Amino acid sequence: MIEIRVDDNACNGCGLCVKDCPMHVYELRESLSVPVHPENCMGCLSCHEICPAQALEHKGIYPSRRHYIDIRVCEMLNRVI
Amino acid sequence: MTDGTIEKMKGAFSTDLVYRSEDVPLTCIPNPEELEDTLHGLMKLNGLIIRSLEEVAGRGANAVTYRAGRKYGHEVAKYFEKMENIEEALKELSDILRGQFTFEIWKPADKTSYIIQENGSTFIYLVFHDCIVRQTLRRNGQAQGGPLCQTLYGYVVGAIEEITGRKAKLEIVHTGPNACLKKLILQ
Repeated sequence: MIEIRVDDNACNGCGLCVKDCPMHVYELRESLSVPVHPENCMGCLSCHEICPAQALEHKGIYPSRRHYIDIRVCEMLNRVI
Repeated sequence: MTDGTIEKMKGAFSTDLVYRSEDVPLTCIPNPEELEDTLHGLMKLNGLIIRSLEEVAGRGANAVTYRAGRKYGHEVAKYFEKMENIEEALKELSDILRGQFTFEIWKPADKTSYIIQENGSTFIYLVFHDCIVRQTLRRNGQAQGGPLCQTLYGYVVGAIEEITGRKAKLEIVHTGPNACLKKLILQ
């Protein structure tokens, strides 16, 4: 099962993850996002992408193939960073 | 351009390799890593074709891409063993397609069976993990759920029709960067 952790210090309670999740994994409680049904998470990572505070962490995800990452661009970025 | 330059250019296309008609290629040549440029070129081209199709044909683009996907599904699945069990058919399809459209049959935790009956319709949730369509769209910065996703819709419907002989519909429930949730509605 996927484990979800919300960084309470980072979460700003915007509720975007609550609205976006099709499986209603999250609920807003006292202005913080709480994963109330992590067992229903299918690992799409939409919440990750949408979270403006980057407060979410998922453990046990199957990472899909990412051939769209341009290796040359990454190499260039690595050199700059 | 001098003659020397042209000869140099032509030299790159001349090898000592002997190709015989009976030779069956068993490995990818060149190494897939060397194909990165080709892959990115194909993804860009596909994205541009779909974008242009949408501009010209509007909503009709979905019908074109759906039909293309359905043909692909029928084509791939015609070599499969025919079976009536839809779960078995999906499992086999997922195994064979690993790398292009890798999917798993999925259910919410409160459901006991993968075949769900709700409001008079029977459906199965499918989570698509590896998907060449998603990669193409993200490569080009295009939105998910558009005409290119209809190819996948047609693909699964075509394959299911071919294997089980049953009519089906695929509904996009949710699209994400790492996986997409689809509903296979059985008729």
